[in-house]
Amino acid sequence: MASSSSSWTQTLLVFFFFALPMLCTSFNPDSPSDRRVLVLVDDLAIKSSHSTYLQSLTDRGYELDVKLATDPKLTLQSYGSYHYDALILFAPKVESLGGNLDAAAISDFVDSGHDLILAADETTSDTIREIASDCGVDFDEFEKAVVIDHVKYAITPLGDDHSLIAADNLIDSTVILGSQGIKEPILYRGLGHIVNPTSELGIKVLSASPSAYSGRVGAEITDLPNVSGASMALVSVVQARNNARIMISGSLELFSNQFFESSVQQSGSDDKFEKSGNQQFAVELTKWTLHERGHLKTSNVHHHKIGETNEPAMYRIADNARYSLGIQEWNGKDWQPYQADDVQLQFYMMSPYVLKTLSHDGKGLYFTEFQVPDVYGVFQFKVEYNRLGYTTLNLAKQIPVRPFRHDEYERFIPAAFPYYGASFSTMIAFFVFGIVFLYHK
Amino acid sequence: MFELRLNRPSSVQFSGAMASTAKDAQDLFSAMRSAYSKTPTRLKIIDVYVIYGLITALIQVVYMAMVGTFPFNAFLSGVLSCIGTSVLGVCLRIQVNPENKEFKDLSPERAFADFVLCNLVLHLVIMNFLG
Repeated sequence: MASSSSSWTQTLLVFFFFALPMLCTSFNPDSPSDRRVLVLVDDLAIKSSHSTYLQSLTDRGYELDVKLATDPKLTLQSYGSYHYDALILFAPKVESLGGNLDAAAISDFVDSGHDLILAADETTSDTIREIASDCGVDFDEFEKAVVIDHVKYAITPLGDDHSLIAADNLIDSTVILGSQGIKEPILYRGLGHIVNPTSELGIKVLSASPSAYSGRVGAEITDLPNVSGASMALVSVVQARNNARIMISGSLELFSNQFFESSVQQSGSDDKFEKSGNQQFAVELTKWTLHERGHLKTSNVHHHKIGETNEPAMYRIADNARYSLGIQEWNGKDWQPYQADDVQLQFYMMSPYVLKTLSHDGKGLYFTEFQVPDVYGVFQFKVEYNRLGYTTLNLAKQIPVRPFRHDEYERFIPAAFPYYGASFSTMIAFFVFGIVFLYHK
Repeated sequence: MFELRLNRPSSVQFSGAMASTAKDAQDLFSAMRSAYSKTPTRLKIIDVYVIYGLITALIQVVYMAMVGTFPFNAFLSGVLSCIGTSVLGVCLRIQVNPENKEFKDLSPERAFADFVLCNLVLHLVIMNFLG
């Protein structure tokens, strides 16, 4: 009875341990549709010019709070609790944010696990650049520079200015961009940026074509552009270590109704598309950013000796252990079993002694069996799962491994019987010899 | 001519030497046997005991060479028990030999008591080390 109640307490503790990161993040697994989003704009006209995009969020159950970025009453939190789960910054021009908002407050917002969508344009202020830079993304700082592509510019009813480009250099990831795939080129007008090479977390989602460069429209190029070619990113995302997600776009117009509805033809190509890929791209990428896709959780982490069911406090060398856990993915409505063949378990002490790929039953239960290595010490069961677009799974559970006890060795070894026999025969020989030696004649 | 004369007697000498070596060895053995037959029975018993220990040790070494060293502690205690027994037997033989003047002050009873004590200690260790 006592042991069952203590195992209950353990289970609860383990549950809280794993639930804790979830409770801290903006993402509430129980009611993700109740999320509150603050939309900051320069000009309330964006409400109508970007209405399709904003409407798509409302349709999926988000509560939008559209405010002017200079609103003096702006605040993200009061008494340590945040009023919003995500922030959309569609205010590239704003020099100083209203209320108590500044770049540091937005960094704190992201650091506490909340999501951020930021869009810039050619008039981007230093404040917005600073926020992007805090996220590891640097916009080109050359004055009035925009992305220009003389080869792959877009031919649209909106004009065929070479600063309006049709980008199709997308990242190959169904989790970030959705499983349908985006076939149409994406209309883009705005700044180019580079993902800081020292940032391990930034991912370029939409890159410029090799012929693109960042420069002033109509001006002669006298110096080498700061950023050019495929290394220049147009839209990138960052997934922070706390699984907060950030989307940074150099173009605010990418999200506009005008671009969503426009037909598009890439120069040099005969394919003419009735509708640009913008709407699909923006909506799918937003779904990812707001954790509607690629968000994993683990459950029922358990290990035991084969033949037993309880979790032991300690293993012995040469024990056969079984480790199992459940992994689920959020699909926007409920938790679905996650299926992947590349989840690995490490039995780890300074370095992995055992590294095994977990098998799964198709219902989200991952498991493996292995023999504890012939080394004793304090080990860890470690699952480290870092995959592009998915939340990082990082589980570690400490477990000691002891050597054989003195009475766990084999008592009589058949191979040693001649040695036992020889030892006892010399003893008998000694006894017989003693009698013969003393009593002869 | 010169070589022939040298060669012939030498080959004769050699076959003669072969015969004489065999005869010498035979003489040596018979001399040893007759000398050994004068050895007191008490010492002969000790000799049998020592030889028994050595042969047992040898068998175990051969067995280890075939089977492998796996229970090495058992192998060591088996072999050392035999070697130790033989060494103690030799020590006893030296002490109880009446021709050995070095131990003339030591009575055979005292020598045997020492021998028994040493054997007890040896076998105590062997039992603990065996497995």
